[in-house]
Amino acid sequence: MKTLDAQGSAAVGVSDPSWLAGRRKTALDYYEKLDMPSSIEEVWRYVELGFSIDDYVLAEGPGEAHEIGAGIAAALANNAGSVAMVDGHTVSADTGTSAAVFGTLSSLLVESPDLLEGYLGTLIDPDLDKFSAAHHAFSGEGVALVVPAGAAVIEPFFIDVQAATSGTVSFPRITLVAEKSSQASVVIRYRSDDDVDALVVPHLELFAADNSNLNVTVVQHWGAGTRSISHARAVVGRDANVHLGEAGLGGSMSRLQLTVDLEGNGSSANIVGAYFGDAAQTMDYRYTMHHAGVNTNSDMFLKGAVQDEALSVFTGMIRIDEEAQKTNAYQTNRNLILSDGASAQSVPNLEILANDVKCGHGSTMGPLDEEQHYYLMSRGLDEERTNRLLVHGFFNEALAKFPEPVVADVVTSWIDTKYRTAQEAGRV
Amino acid sequence: MSVALQVSDVRAQYGDLEILKGVDLEVPFGEVHVLMGPNGSGKSTLCHVLMGKDEYEATGSALVGGTEVMGLPVDERARLGLFEAFQYPVEVPGVSLDDLIDEMGEVRDDAGFAARVESASDLLDMARFRERAVNGGLSGGEKKRSEMFQMAISQPKVAILDEIDSGLDIDAVREVAHLVEELRSDDLGVLIITHYSRILRYMKPDKIHVMVAGKVVKTGGPEIAAELEASGYVEMQAGEATLAAPEVATPFDV
Ligand SMILES: Nc1ncnc2c1ncn2[C@@H]1O[C@H](COP(=O)(O)OP(=O)(O)O)[C@@H](O)[C@H]1O
Ligand SMILES: [Mg+2]
Repeated sequence: MKTLDAQGSAAVGVSDPSWLAGRRKTALDYYEKLDMPSSIEEVWRYVELGFSIDDYVLAEGPGEAHEIGAGIAAALANNAGSVAMVDGHTVSADTGTSAAVFGTLSSLLVESPDLLEGYLGTLIDPDLDKFSAAHHAFSGEGVALVVPAGAAVIEPFFIDVQAATSGTVSFPRITLVAEKSSQASVVIRYRSDDDVDALVVPHLELFAADNSNLNVTVVQHWGAGTRSISHARAVVGRDANVHLGEAGLGGSMSRLQLTVDLEGNGSSANIVGAYFGDAAQTMDYRYTMHHAGVNTNSDMFLKGAVQDEALSVFTGMIRIDEEAQKTNAYQTNRNLILSDGASAQSVPNLEILANDVKCGHGSTMGPLDEEQHYYLMSRGLDEERTNRLLVHGFFNEALAKFPEPVVADVVTSWIDTKYRTAQEAGRV
Repeated sequence: MSVALQVSDVRAQYGDLEILKGVDLEVPFGEVHVLMGPNGSGKSTLCHVLMGKDEYEATGSALVGGTEVMGLPVDERARLGLFEAFQYPVEVPGVSLDDLIDEMGEVRDDAGFAARVESASDLLDMARFRERAVNGGLSGGEKKRSEMFQMAISQPKVAILDEIDSGLDIDAVREVAHLVEELRSDDLGVLIITHYSRILRYMKPDKIHVMVAGKVVKTGGPEIAAELEASGYVEMQAGEATLAAPEVATPFDV
């Protein structure tokens, strides 16, 4: 059994290229120094973690995987390549035949040890928090995509990340690179069975070079007993666009801390979110949109619902540098509170140093709209149908903006089912 | 002919505000009636009280095709055959008109529903609105058209069209009026609510009711419109109403 210590780190990194070994070593030092985060820190506010990362150990190998073929995998049967990982270990990899380099880190780091040096592990700092340090120190496997300059890959790449063994922690790392004027779409799905008490600490790094378009869809569908603390960061070059859709459905506690750096002039980002918590789930989103380049555009649009005793948190920061003139930046977070015991936090922030900008933020919170409810019922729809249609419509507004419509459709059906199940049990 | 809508002594208040003070009204099957009255007289409140909106405290009786609807939930009233076209139809984000139509079909045991949707859709040229959100980003006139469309596919016994003519240009008013005449049938009673009489140029209502300050103060034939033109609502209820004459155009130059 590998524990989260120097031996565990060394064992995981046994075949690291030297540049990676150095980074791993540094991260281990941070890991040993840092404490578990606490809700006293602003970026961890509102949420009590209630566990320690070293309650978990690294899995020796993959646990038993879910069958692949249902839902999203079926919707993505035509893909440009796919990798499935369980408990931090690859169980299948189809690198596809596209113009891009796509595969697992374990093979890519052997086949072309220098390909990822400038990317892998460079965006998310190890000293960000204990989880990030742990990720850098103990991550053994992941997936990378490098789309060469000028290439456009139309079919999406599919990365299926599962947790199957209780008591384990895994650190999936996903590094996606769109070189100049290239284009690609990636779908990442996180999942586990409800009885899997595991911790997953993913890192997602997105590099969108000048003129590129990088579309990423993340579907978080962890089982009810799984925790996930993830970090993501995107760097967007001149006239490039990153379009990220994040659907949050599962997990006892799931967190995503995302930073987007609009570095290049004319760069843009569309960040869309749809999350739906029930039972005692906590869903925690900390987004930062950083405008550094001139003439940059961003739109964050998140819709979340909570029922039962669920808690959701969204904190959105728009930071506009002094040089980032002619910027448009918007963030919207709408929350639906479906039960008295459920709660949501929504905290929009602006930090604007430039003077020629257009900025807007809106945050709302409340039950289903009464006028809409009355209108639909006046068309003969019973109470249950009316509520279902309103919940559906609420999320549809966000899911319609997701990069991959086929994935959004599957997520929509899961959301509909989640609400309907609560209705049938008399919980809403 | 039997009665589509029979309203007796309907009273309603919102909080402490008494809005309807004993409304009596009857619309037989096969007829089209108009309910007129100044702004604020309680016309929309009557619609909502008949439809069952729960923000009003209401008493009295309302029979739809002979069945009492007061006290029933909104959706049951609708399925019993009461349709309200809203003065201000609310936008339902993320729900397409087709989504709504699907659900409307599912709650009705109505073999002709699907065919009616298609024919009404053609008649009202609704195709391009059906995939859009219900009332989302529609102009005033388009919203009214969507309401008429939903009325046509619901095949109600009673249709109450609240200010179906307001915010429309004159061509659209004529269109709405003609549509109502087209939908006129022995299985339907229509109550058109308006505070303008211009729609009367293009249709021939069987009766006009005048509401002032929460009561129907006068019911009569189409000639009432001319009377209103001459005297305004003030004469209708001496002492209570102090409103100016409504905008009245010459009726029936059809
Ligand atoms: N929901 C409500 N809240 C507060 N006041 C209301 C409400 N509904 C109606 N009223 C009041 O009742 C009166 C009648 O309104 P309404 O029925 O809309 O009149 P009309 O449709 O004839 O113009 C007005 O004074 C209006 O302000
Ligand atoms: Mg009105």
